[in-house]
Amino acid sequence: MHDQPWRVLTRHFFNAMFDFGFLSDAGAESFKRMLMGAAAVGLGIGFGMVRVYITKYANLSNASIDVYTRAVTADHAFLIGLPMWIVASAVALAGHALFPDETDFRILMKEPLRRTTIFGAKLAALLLFSGLLVLGAQAALLPLFLLTLMNPEGFSAAVPYALAFAVSSLAASAFAGLAIVALHGVIVLCVPRNLTTKVAIVVRSLLIGLLVMSLPLVLRLGGSSGAFSQNAPWLRWTPPTWFEGLERWLLGQGRSGLAFEAVIGLALALAVAVASYAILYRHFDRVMLRPMASHAPRRWRWWAPARETARPIRVAVRNFAWITLRRSVLHQGIVVVLGAAAGGLMLNSFINNDLVTWLRDGTDSHGAMLGSLLWVPFPLMIIVCPAMRLALGVPMDLRANWIFRTTDEGNVRLQAIGAAVQTVMLVGVGLPVALIAPLQWLMFGPYAIIMVAFELVAGWLLVELLMSNYRVIPFTCSYIPGKGFVPQMFVKGVFSFLLFTGLGSSLLRLCLREPFFLPLFLTPMAAAALMLQMRRGRHARLTTPMFEDEMPSEVNPLRLNVD
Amino acid sequence: MLEARGLTKRYKGLLALDRVSFDLHPGEIVGYLGPNGSGKSTTVNIVVGLLEPSAGSVSVGGLNAAEDPVGYKKRIGYVPEEPYLYTHLTASEYLTLVGRLRRIPGRTLEHRISTLLQLLQLQDARYKSMTAFSKGMRQRVLVAAALLHNPDLIVLDEPFSGLDVNAGLLFRALLRLLADEGRMIFFSTHRFDMVEKLCSRVIVLSSGRVAIESRVDAFDKAGPGSLEETFVRVTQQADYQPLARQIFETITQG
Repeated sequence: MHDQPWRVLTRHFFNAMFDFGFLSDAGAESFKRMLMGAAAVGLGIGFGMVRVYITKYANLSNASIDVYTRAVTADHAFLIGLPMWIVASAVALAGHALFPDETDFRILMKEPLRRTTIFGAKLAALLLFSGLLVLGAQAALLPLFLLTLMNPEGFSAAVPYALAFAVSSLAASAFAGLAIVALHGVIVLCVPRNLTTKVAIVVRSLLIGLLVMSLPLVLRLGGSSGAFSQNAPWLRWTPPTWFEGLERWLLGQGRSGLAFEAVIGLALALAVAVASYAILYRHFDRVMLRPMASHAPRRWRWWAPARETARPIRVAVRNFAWITLRRSVLHQGIVVVLGAAAGGLMLNSFINNDLVTWLRDGTDSHGAMLGSLLWVPFPLMIIVCPAMRLALGVPMDLRANWIFRTTDEGNVRLQAIGAAVQTVMLVGVGLPVALIAPLQWLMFGPYAIIMVAFELVAGWLLVELLMSNYRVIPFTCSYIPGKGFVPQMFVKGVFSFLLFTGLGSSLLRLCLREPFFLPLFLTPMAAAALMLQMRRGRHARLTTPMFEDEMPSEVNPLRLNVD
Repeated sequence: MLEARGLTKRYKGLLALDRVSFDLHPGEIVGYLGPNGSGKSTTVNIVVGLLEPSAGSVSVGGLNAAEDPVGYKKRIGYVPEEPYLYTHLTASEYLTLVGRLRRIPGRTLEHRISTLLQLLQLQDARYKSMTAFSKGMRQRVLVAAALLHNPDLIVLDEPFSGLDVNAGLLFRALLRLLADEGRMIFFSTHRFDMVEKLCSRVIVLSSGRVAIESRVDAFDKAGPGSLEETFVRVTQQADYQPLARQIFETITQG
């Protein structure tokens, strides 16, 4: 029996949702394995949380209804927020496949298919994908939710709780998915054709970055009972709390303000998503073939060939790296996701130490922020530097690297690898230090100069250690994901993180207390970095760059039988 | 002069190239013909320095590829068969990258890029990412990249694929002019007509060995003595009529 075209197309579009649009087959497999690993870790954490909830709600079922309500409000906000985060992240990752695009237009419209079939199949795939996500996320958290129903008033009170939560939580997840679809719809329809891809890449990276950064905040929702009882102003700015407000309103326990925002938000996202689909359906050819926007060519000063430089190859490779990081979804994604994880740590540290109160009350009133501002640059550096190294090591159209192979010479190698190090230094050290320096100045005044100097030298040493055996011209070498022994890499990573952040912030604290220590620490650190830099230079001149990634060297036999 | 001597390449026991030798003199355009799998691309990759031969040597103007790879590569411009380039860059950005890797001074580079893009009719697209370029446009960018540093030897691997008629005619005229000005042109192709129109000499490769090396004007225009008939004979190509019949029957039978 032949498959109906719409069924074939739906299957094709559904599979494309998992393609993520930026990975090779090997990379996609590795990414799926990584997602499965993350899901397993999530499951483990979930089991731990079940134990916590059992104890918590067994106690709450004997407490007063007010105490129970306060606790359950915060926990339900978390149980609404987490599926929202999961759905939004997955839909953002599948952003390239949410609407029929120019490729679909060019390939499918010449086939004997009706437009209804193409759009119907796309919509069916999208509904299937998001439906499965919503249900999967809800099902994963169902045990926790069931435990929150253990209330002081018994089973009869649990039913309205369950119904109100089901409506609010499903609406919240639908909102999360629809908001991303709506955003992509606006990009497809409104952004000039030649900029659509670029804008979509930037928006996708930003969205994923923001979502990664917001994860610690979602996890903190479980502790927001005080904010709900005091009706804190920030509740109006966080979508999960809107939908928790909706649940409260459905139960007759809260005011309609947050519920109103939830309903308006959902209706708006739905309207924009549906309207985008409808407009694209009616004007598919016009949208896909609309003329490219003509704009005056931009010429970046740093790219202009006329600018003479003593190291032209370093400049060329550095510019190549910047442009690739700006235009490639994969490379930008690596930096953004890992950078956002570091940003999440920073944000969490600031919130724990009450950044808002410190900023509001003045610079000398809050000692807790001091530790945070001393510590934060180090985790940022030790996460972003390896992220940058990884991004530069992942190839960009491997078959095009012949241009580097045919121009290979000692100086090219030296300058090309120098460009890679410079890029890691700028993004991995310069950016975090520049980001934190104003806050440090606010708190420490001129002492911030000491901090910046220490952080820059520590960052330089970190980069030189990280790049000491680097033999790759950015984006030109094949990449084998997951070639290291994962547990060993994990232990090494955690150890490096603790060592760098712990030692770095402790030494910096010492320097602030006794500025006399600053040259004492900086001199050996800078000397070590300089030695590593010189060694890297010698190494680069003598060895050929790598264009093929290698598995770690074979096991060294002990050769016990050798005399 | 390009001198290839006894070029041999083995891939895990498979002999791809077997003691291939030839010369290419300044002002000469040599056509390099051979069926698929005959070793044409392997030769091209060795000549441009992408592959090291298992045995034999290749040199340009006395510079040996194994002994002085940097000096050797500096004298070569290469247009690959497939337009492999970094398509996320604009044509201008790509040519700037290539020019800087080849150490062309800034102002000279800017002038050459601007003029070449204009002459190759890419001026309007110079600031657009090459993702949206047709194969022909990408091929023209590769031609510009190959000529940017004014090489002595130009190695072309199917350079006309994707070029439209006008670009093809322009490119042919350019190759003739370059040869007249003393450049060496090594032209690997499947197209007999191009070899007949453009080349002074032809080398035919079969199963990794040189089967014919001759002047192009030594062949008849048509008939058994023509280049095409001779090629079919020496490379032992199959009789295509029965194959064509089989394909037709496959698509017409239930």
